[in-house]
Amino acid sequence: MKAEIVQTNNNFNIKKSKSSGAFSVMWREILKDKLALASLFILGLLLITVYGATLFINQDKLVTVDLLSIYSPPSADHLLGTDYGGRDILGQLLIGAKNSFTIGFFITLIAGIIGLTVGITAGYFGGKVDNFMMRIVDFVMILPSLMLIIVFVTIAPKYNVYTFIFIMSIFLWTGKARLIRSKTLAERELDYVNASKTLGTPDWKIIIREVLPNLSSIIIVNLTLNLAGNIGIESGLTYLGFGLPETTPSLGTLVSYATNPDILQNKWWIWLPASFLILVMMLCINFIGQALRRAADARQRLG
Amino acid sequence: MVFLKINNLKVYYPIRGGFFRRVVDHVKAVDDISFELKQGETYGLVGESGCGKTTTGRSIIGLTKSTAGEIIFEDKDLTKLSRKDYHNYRRDIQMIFQDPYSSLNPRKRVLDIVAEPLRNFEKLTIAEERQKVQFYIEKVGLSPEDVYKYPHEFSGGQRQRIGIARALTLNPKLIIADEPVSALDVSVQAQVLNFMQDIQKEFNLTYLFISHDLGIIQHMCDRIGIMYRGQFVEEGAAEDIYTNPQHIYTKRLISAIPDINPKNRDKQVEFRKKVNEEYKNSYDKYFNAEGKVYKLKQISNTHSVALP
Repeated sequence: MKAEIVQTNNNFNIKKSKSSGAFSVMWREILKDKLALASLFILGLLLITVYGATLFINQDKLVTVDLLSIYSPPSADHLLGTDYGGRDILGQLLIGAKNSFTIGFFITLIAGIIGLTVGITAGYFGGKVDNFMMRIVDFVMILPSLMLIIVFVTIAPKYNVYTFIFIMSIFLWTGKARLIRSKTLAERELDYVNASKTLGTPDWKIIIREVLPNLSSIIIVNLTLNLAGNIGIESGLTYLGFGLPETTPSLGTLVSYATNPDILQNKWWIWLPASFLILVMMLCINFIGQALRRAADARQRLG
Repeated sequence: MVFLKINNLKVYYPIRGGFFRRVVDHVKAVDDISFELKQGETYGLVGESGCGKTTTGRSIIGLTKSTAGEIIFEDKDLTKLSRKDYHNYRRDIQMIFQDPYSSLNPRKRVLDIVAEPLRNFEKLTIAEERQKVQFYIEKVGLSPEDVYKYPHEFSGGQRQRIGIARALTLNPKLIIADEPVSALDVSVQAQVLNFMQDIQKEFNLTYLFISHDLGIIQHMCDRIGIMYRGQFVEEGAAEDIYTNPQHIYTKRLISAIPDINPKNRDKQVEFRKKVNEEYKNSYDKYFNAEGKVYKLKQISNTHSVALP
């Protein structure tokens, strides 16, 4: 009898049913949308190049001033020319892209984790817990975040990529917390949550095993679309002069050279590649995000 | 020993308003009801929508907090138990939910859905667990290979039976069935109901059957309680209620059961007219100034009616 059951089970395992998991639906949607597929390909290629190339670049040597080759146009020595300190633009572009993307990625990740934890707890338990947590969220939201970031940048003694990620994450989690809370509020009213309660499942297990998987698609979509925005915020702040110091190149640093009219008009190789790279990255991430958003809503799906 | 006894159960929801959201009034969802269940029987709770029958069921299983009253299950008052002690009674009381679409998590396989209570209460190996799940899945008339499927691959009736299998896995003594077939079409209703009766005999289950459908209640239940605006109108053995209804509300409900035989059509119309006449003429006899019913009064060993 036992052997029989085991035998039949082996057969079932081979026959795989069409999965309806969040990831496979998203993958199908991206495959259907040629624009998103191309974007994914370009973005992947870009990231591999950037992260791969930076392994071979000596950053200290790169940011050393070389007075003999100030503002030299693109040549065999410097493929994309040099800036006012005679520093290679291509190298700065690669390291800058790496820094900008890393910052954007980790801000999204950390803000996402904090927002998710706060939002799902507040939404699931509701009542007093919800009230308390959402008042904290409201408080952080009404703070003039841009001003506080600028103040922090000026007073921070050791200012680098990590402190930048930290200060940005502190202010950016609130939006996610509200979004996740509203979705959790809707989800916890469904009977499968009640069923789990009557079956004796502890609350933390219901949150992680039951509610979270049902929110996964909306979370992934939101994080992807936020990623593009966060890269933009980093570049924007650096452009304004409140971002990373010049010893840590970023896309924003390169674009900010264009504030000098001479560079803007006559030395395109300094700012144009960085601007173009920002444009391509943002567009790619947004196209992928659009496809994922459609995947999350069954009525809009193509595939 | 008392199996399940509900004493003066009340569930009130506050209505807030005015300054500082003070409590102005209460919605009395369940207003002072008492009844008793014997082991092995099926007790039917009937009433119009919003009369508090579901709230009663949910407060017995602990999904809704009761405002006052006692829920005595095997000589222990469930409302006074701590969270930890209550956990031990979880496995004795289980629930079948109304909507088979929202009561199964769409992201989990049937195996994980049905095994969820086992994972909470019993330490089984993966193979034992799968065998047990497949045993119950076969009991509810699905094939054992179905445990690797997702809920959306099943029809409504099959989903409801997965819900029943889930409620059965812990060998509960009491099952609260909250309108278990109202989301299913009629051909599937009979199938699920007959199946529920079969497993009742097999596992010696006690059902608290909540429904608004008098035909189903008649088919399923040994004793019946009829609710109206959070209170009991009439309570008794199924026979008492159907052949000898005393309260005008019960009479109106029973006159509303359609008769399939066309020969009785005129008789049925006549009967309804008579009941409606009585309702109009003697409303004050059955309902107090607030439009609520009076307290229950026993009129025979098995039969109680709310009369002044």
